[in-house]
Amino acid sequence: MNRENKKRKYDKKYFRRHPCTDAFTCKECGWLVVTGGAGSRHRNHCPNCLYSVHLDNKPGDRSSECHGRMEPIGVGVRKNGEWAIIHRCKICGKISSNRVAADDNPMKLMALALRPFGSQTISHNDIKNMTITMEG
Amino acid sequence: MKKQYKCPVCGWTPAADEPNNEWEHCPNCLSSIHVEDEMGFECGGVLEPVSIWVKPCGEWEIIQRCRDCGEMKNSQMSEDDSPLKILAVASKPLAFPPFPLERIEELTKIMGGCGDVGGYYHEQRK
Repeated sequence: MNRENKKRKYDKKYFRRHPCTDAFTCKECGWLVVTGGAGSRHRNHCPNCLYSVHLDNKPGDRSSECHGRMEPIGVGVRKNGEWAIIHRCKICGKISSNRVAADDNPMKLMALALRPFGSQTISHNDIKNMTITMEG
Repeated sequence: MKKQYKCPVCGWTPAADEPNNEWEHCPNCLSSIHVEDEMGFECGGVLEPVSIWVKPCGEWEIIQRCRDCGEMKNSQMSEDDSPLKILAVASKPLAFPPFPLERIEELTKIMGGCGDVGGYYHEQRK
C-alpha cells in the first residue's frame, strides 16, 4: 500500500491507468460523493447536481491548472446509445463530454435534455409554419 | 465576385438567389472542418453536431465533436441554419433515454430527489 501511495504521488501518469477511488465533496452543492454505485470506476461528476471540476486536459492526466467548476450544458448520445453529459468550464470555457453514471439524478438529466424545447429560439409558430409549407 | 460557399462535408451550396456568406458551419448539415486543434497542429477531421447548448440568455449554440481527435467545440447558431436538423440533434437524447421514462418519478424518489414530469396522473405502482 505504501508503495502504491508513493507511486500515486510521484507518477504523473498514475491516473491515466488507475481509477481515482477517493470520496470528494461537490464544489457546487456540497454533496458527499463516494465512488460506489456509479456503475463504473471513474466518477467524474456529482450525481446530484451533475457539476464537474476541470482537473484533466486529457482523461486522467491531472495537468489542468484551471480547476474551475464545469457546468453541465447538455446531453449527447454516443454511438453505442449511451448518454454523455457535456460539461463546460465556467472559467476557461473548455468543453468536454463525460459518460452518465448509474446513480445520476434522472430529473436533472431529463431537464438538460428538454432545455432546447422550452426555449423560444425555434418557437411553436416557426414549426407550425414549417409544417404548413411541407404539406403544400 | 465572392467565392461561392460549398460545404466540404455534405457538398451543399446556396442557390443562386440565396445569400452567400462565410458560415462557421454548414447551415444544411451543421458540420464543419476542424482546422486546428488545441496544441496548434492541423487536424482536418470532421466536426459533427452532438448537442445543443441553451445559454441563459436564450441563445443557442451548437456543440460539435471532432471525429478524428475528439475535441469538442461550440459554434454560434446562425439564422440560416436548418431548423429541422437542429431539432433532430436536440431530440436525439429523448429518443434514446438511459432509463425507462415511465418510471422516472419512482427512480428519482429512490435517489431522494424530487421533480414533476407534468403528467396528468402520477405514477402509481403497487
